[in-house]
Amino acid sequence: MFALVDCNNFYASCEKLFDPKLAGRPLVVLSNNDGCVVARSAEAKALGVPMGVPWFKIQALAREHGIVARSSNYALYADMSNRVVEILSGFTPCMEVYSIDESFLDVRGFADRVAHGQLMRQRIAHWLGLPVCVGIAPTKTLAKLANHIAKKDPCFEGVCDLAQMAPEARASLFAAIEVGEVWGVGCRTAEQLARMNIHTVADLAHADPQAMRRCFSVVLERTVRELNGTACIALEEMAPPKQQIMASRSFGQWVEDLPTLKEAVAAYTSRAAEKLRQQGCVAGALTVMIRTNPFKPEAPQYQRSVTVPLTCPTDDTRVLVRIATRTLEGIFKAGFVYQKAGVMLSELTPPTARQASLFGDGEGEDARAGPLMATLDAINQRWGRGTVRSLAAGVTQPWQMRREQLSPAYTTSWDDLPVVHGG
Amino acid sequence: MREGCVTLDLPADLLRAPLDAPGCWTPLGLTPVSAGFPSPAEDYADKRLDINDYLVRNPVSTFFFPVRGDSMQGAEIFDGDILVVDRSVRAQHGHVVVAFVNGERLVKRLHCRGGRLALLAENPAYPALEVVDGCELEIWGVVIGKFKRLPA
Repeated sequence: MFALVDCNNFYASCEKLFDPKLAGRPLVVLSNNDGCVVARSAEAKALGVPMGVPWFKIQALAREHGIVARSSNYALYADMSNRVVEILSGFTPCMEVYSIDESFLDVRGFADRVAHGQLMRQRIAHWLGLPVCVGIAPTKTLAKLANHIAKKDPCFEGVCDLAQMAPEARASLFAAIEVGEVWGVGCRTAEQLARMNIHTVADLAHADPQAMRRCFSVVLERTVRELNGTACIALEEMAPPKQQIMASRSFGQWVEDLPTLKEAVAAYTSRAAEKLRQQGCVAGALTVMIRTNPFKPEAPQYQRSVTVPLTCPTDDTRVLVRIATRTLEGIFKAGFVYQKAGVMLSELTPPTARQASLFGDGEGEDARAGPLMATLDAINQRWGRGTVRSLAAGVTQPWQMRREQLSPAYTTSWDDLPVVHGG
Repeated sequence: MREGCVTLDLPADLLRAPLDAPGCWTPLGLTPVSAGFPSPAEDYADKRLDINDYLVRNPVSTFFFPVRGDSMQGAEIFDGDILVVDRSVRAQHGHVVVAFVNGERLVKRLHCRGGRLALLAENPAYPALEVVDGCELEIWGVVIGKFKRLPA
């Protein structure tokens, strides 16, 4: 038996929690470089602001209704997300943190599941000021659906347990929900299903699993079985270690010259290397990619990505930055306006599996790299990200992403704490 | 003898054992060797005091707010103090609270007695804020402590 706890309008709710001027106002949170709407407060949803719409396209609506925009404040959202997870882990240790605002809990053996769901909701609302909904069901796919129902239908008071609902009630609910709401059914699949006369959750639940496997994939077959109460997807309490580590961003301003591009690539490499060390792995290959803006077809287009194998798998920022910038030099072409660069580390292995290299630099260098990198990470953890960084990553970093409407890091920076007035 | 290693003297009874005892090599400096007496305090060693344990009861629901202004002087809350605010504490009459009122973040003493709901200042220069219908009030959290650094 699973419970899915999902924060309502998570990014927008975090912003509203600390800024009293946002109370009752329509609020949207924007993606990197303040491009598109990635979260909407209830007021913004009520105004019909669609998810994913570019911010510049809704300027007229924003002016008319006083819609407030905020840049994504990941420091704040990550801290609040960790607090939610901490509270939920007080209910059961068997949980899977599925995303920044969703967690699956194993609630087998909970005597009164709805009462527990309400308690989770109340505690997160009281302790953190964040609204959440709880969906309970025998499978993860159904728990997702139950959460959707709990969000949409106020009579559930935020907690929906499909397992203790009368079959007729469940059937009529399923007949009223579009198939695209089902976990794992994307737009394209939903269109194809519509051509097969499968429009609602009920239609899909009644479909033949074997036929779904033939027409689509084993994934959709599993979805059909899950909709009928057979659990096929287990709780992943430990996230499997990542097979690749990616660091890529669009630039805050267009970049044309190699030195600036090198800075960005060095900074992304440093960040990826930090994640690599957190995971306790070394990388056996490094990919560098650059591209111009594909949404500006009138401008000259260029994109290139190159993967280089590393003779000596490593987690040393200095080595990785050196290789990444050298690789970039090989693929850079002047005369283009670059919009994005990325670095990917792959062939990740634990350091014990490190193969001694016939042509390596020898052990002397490696022996000092470990403590040096550990020190680097410790300093950056204590004094803030980027306190000590490779000079190759630049000092002013003009390519940094644009976040003009960024709220303070209310909970993670002493300089950003929210002031209270006595007056 | 190999550099960096030391041969251990094996106990006499082990040497008399029927097995052919091999030479035992242990790298130097692997374990700290204490000559002299063991520390008499060893059994009494306590964890060093952590200010968090003193000021914070429930870390997950605790947030910090710096204070601007002198309206809470009477409650020994001064300009520049950083408040420890615990959302998991139920606000009651008499608690010092952080409240959102009409778009402002305020620190006040909560008064809710005899049908009167008000936020009181602790400084005669500031009037009480009566909570009436139409007033947007949210009691954000209860102030359970404060701290400040001094120039030194």
